[in-house]
Amino acid sequence: MPLDAGDAGDVQVTGPRSRGERLLDVRDLRVEFRTRDGVARAVNGVSWAVDAGETLAVLGESGSGKSVTAQAVMGILDVPPGRITGGEVLFKGRDLLRMKEDERRRIRGAEMAMIFQDALSSLNPVVPVGDQLGEMFVVHRGMSRKDARARAVELMDRVRIPAARQRVGDYPHQFSGGMRQRIMIAMALALEPALIIADEPTTALDVTVQAQVMDLLAELRREYRMGLVLITHDLGVVADVADRIAVMYAGRIVESAPVHDLYRAPAHPYTRGLLDSIPRLDRKGHALHAIKGLPPNLMDIPPGCAFHPRCPAARDVCRTDVPPPHPVDEHRGSACHFWRECLHD
Amino acid sequence: MGRYVVRRLLQMVPVFIGATLLIFLMVNVMGDPVAGLCGERQCDAATTARLKQEFGLDRPVWQQYLTYMGNVFTGDFGTAFNGQPVTELMATAFPVTARLTVVAILFEIVIGITLGVITGMRRGRPVDTGVLLATLVVISVPTFVTGLLLQLLLGVEWGWIRPSVSPDAAFGELLVPGLVLASVSLAYVTRLTRTSIAENRRSDYVRTAVAKGLPRRRVVTRHLLRNSLIPVVTFIGADIGFLMGGAIVTERIFNIHGVGYQLYQGILRQNTQTVVGFVTVLVLVFLVTNLLVDLLYAVLDPRIRYA
Amino acid sequence: MPELEPEGEIVAPGLTALPLDQAPPGAPAPVAGTTGRPRSLWSDAWRDLRRNPVFLASSLIILFLLFISLWPSAITWESPLKCDLAHAQEGSGPGHPFGYDGQGCDVYTRTVYGARTSVTVGVLATLGVAVLGSVLGGLAGFFGGAGDAVLSRITDVFFAIPVVLGGLVLLSVVTGDTVWPVIGFMVLLGWPQISRIARGSVITAKQHDYVQAARALGASSSRILLRHIAPNAVAPVIVVATIALGTYIALEATLSYLGVGLKPPTVSWGIDISAASPYVRNAPHALLWPSGALALTVLAFIMLGDAIRDALDPKLR
Repeated sequence: MPLDAGDAGDVQVTGPRSRGERLLDVRDLRVEFRTRDGVARAVNGVSWAVDAGETLAVLGESGSGKSVTAQAVMGILDVPPGRITGGEVLFKGRDLLRMKEDERRRIRGAEMAMIFQDALSSLNPVVPVGDQLGEMFVVHRGMSRKDARARAVELMDRVRIPAARQRVGDYPHQFSGGMRQRIMIAMALALEPALIIADEPTTALDVTVQAQVMDLLAELRREYRMGLVLITHDLGVVADVADRIAVMYAGRIVESAPVHDLYRAPAHPYTRGLLDSIPRLDRKGHALHAIKGLPPNLMDIPPGCAFHPRCPAARDVCRTDVPPPHPVDEHRGSACHFWRECLHD
Repeated sequence: MGRYVVRRLLQMVPVFIGATLLIFLMVNVMGDPVAGLCGERQCDAATTARLKQEFGLDRPVWQQYLTYMGNVFTGDFGTAFNGQPVTELMATAFPVTARLTVVAILFEIVIGITLGVITGMRRGRPVDTGVLLATLVVISVPTFVTGLLLQLLLGVEWGWIRPSVSPDAAFGELLVPGLVLASVSLAYVTRLTRTSIAENRRSDYVRTAVAKGLPRRRVVTRHLLRNSLIPVVTFIGADIGFLMGGAIVTERIFNIHGVGYQLYQGILRQNTQTVVGFVTVLVLVFLVTNLLVDLLYAVLDPRIRYA
Repeated sequence: MPELEPEGEIVAPGLTALPLDQAPPGAPAPVAGTTGRPRSLWSDAWRDLRRNPVFLASSLIILFLLFISLWPSAITWESPLKCDLAHAQEGSGPGHPFGYDGQGCDVYTRTVYGARTSVTVGVLATLGVAVLGSVLGGLAGFFGGAGDAVLSRITDVFFAIPVVLGGLVLLSVVTGDTVWPVIGFMVLLGWPQISRIARGSVITAKQHDYVQAARALGASSSRILLRHIAPNAVAPVIVVATIALGTYIALEATLSYLGVGLKPPTVSWGIDISAASPYVRNAPHALLWPSGALALTVLAFIMLGDAIRDALDPKLR
């Protein structure tokens, strides 16, 4: 229906993209896995949001539900055994979970892309990398294979793969680990999406290569003004690139804060434990702190605060009542009954 | 690659010699090599002695083997029981068995892979369980029973096919025998495809393909199938040799005058030349198809490198 | 043989901790300590098998087969060799539930007695193949070197010869009605299959850390082989041997059908099927009953092998 431009002034369909606009809003997301041994509740009411151009780090140990959250957002969860049991995932204001699969597919890769941890297994071993990159243009943009290949070479140049033109026909196993992860990044960037979700993008790499790849990712994110969700267990990676941090434990967000606030004064004993377990040069000679105990079994999450069996400050109320998210200030929140004590400790 | 082929060809030599020698020895145990040479009658003692000398049968076995192999390499496979050169028998028999094998392989590809893909994509559903059970039954029923039953049903009871195949053995006539020959391999192809698909369906690169926003069809054909079918293709390739050697039962049931039939006749009439000649060619076919399959593997999977 | 290029085999640190069950990538890893008692490969497998309907069904069939092989007269009332041409090709009647075959023999009685032959051939051939194959393959895999190379070439030679063909050639000269030539032939042509499996699993087991540790501690070769490697290498041999047992029974019937396997008066399903095929039109029951018994028997062993493999290798589930 054609609208008369003069009368439509009060209907704003899309606004200009600017930093601060909400890009992705995950609300009360819940995911379960049904296995032979029972139901594992991997994500239990997770909420976080990313604004355009912002970097959010989702931090947690393995099994905390951070990767499962990312897969649910991306729509690549293995169903079954996985199942989304509740919540909303608003992308640019629209709930992805209620979209038709075909509509959602068009968003995947084009508007939100994902970078995986293990590039060797995440790239198709029997298809040349150039074709895997070019496929994005062929499928989403309807380009010819030849043009798509030219774009693939450009992309490989972009992520600084040497001799891109000669190597566009090579297979993933012919590249080094760092180069493969660059190809993954190139693939995610291909269609200049508004949001990239990077799931442990540097964990599988050598330490020296980790920094290069992370720097490249941060640089390209700035250049393309994308939102980035960085999923990691590595606090060291987070400090340099993230704007905000959401800390996950047993399928919940336990603390969320701007990165510098969180490093200066954590408002949750779990975050404090994580920070204390980083070896630091200025504390040489001091014993390293490790959080005692193990992460909980997701089929049998402790009642009350899931962290209480490992928490040095746990009291009776922690064993019975699930702590609601307390606003610490307007930018941060903590799911600890005693966040004040923790903050001023 | 060239050096690999040469090395493989050299490796084939001892296997070829070993296999033919083994058969040569077996056939020598089998019986009197000249027994068939006097036609239907038993040879008298003098003729036997003369023939034995003529064919060098009085010499040690290893000398006989060398002479025979020497002749084989000049294209002389000896004489069959009816006085025909063995090569002539081969010229009529091998094309028939080759056609039968082609039909069988086509069944494996079309039915086996289709069923495997369907079940692999629907693991644990009723279709999967049903097909899986069916493959177990097919594997369990020996080929000769499958053949006899199909012949009974389709040929005798319902009259859809002629119970025995004419000497021409055209493709159309070989459909049911080909299915019988393929049956067990067909079931294996189905199971292999299913396992391979189900395994790869959970793989990281398929997850990547989905995350790229590719349509489901493209994810399946370009990424899932391309990888999953590599072991299946090599299985089917290697099966060519097995099928040609195993066609003897199917050929006997449907009275097909192929390799198996000639071999059976050769064994019944104790004609060593026919038996050794045909088996020699079958062993060669087996070895060459296996080499080709290994080379094909490298074409399909770039990670394989030949050293 | 083509070999996988090992270059680029990077094991991500995060992945090594994943359990080997069907947890999908990214799924939460179950945390250790949910079950208190110690678990081993075999006790785990046994726990799975007890709940597996396929295992239970195939075991029941096999137990029944063993029973009628040992005491066929428990469920029959005649001799399998008592035939009366007057009844030839007759259908079922009182006391003769499966009818009569072309010679007027009772099909039911012969089908029951046929189990003994099949089970005897299958079990003895499998035992022979398993012992010969695993000893040769195991030693070759453990010690390697020239012996291993020679053995590998020999197995190549045996693989190049079509089995049914070999059977026709070798068994066509055999006279007499015992099962021994058929069993001998199966052992002769069957051992390379087990030998390859045993060799492969010994080579794999040899690389395990605990074997290296035992070696470093100065354990003797024979002790390492018997105490550390054999128990771990034996699982695939058991699986393949179980399935092979079924195929040997089918092979015996095939050879008997071709006229070179067992000979009358031995009672064999293969012989009976072969004998029934010319007059199948008039007396299909004489073909169908032994065929069904044969198929069911082979099926039972293949299913048993399948179930054991699934239980021993959780990755395949």
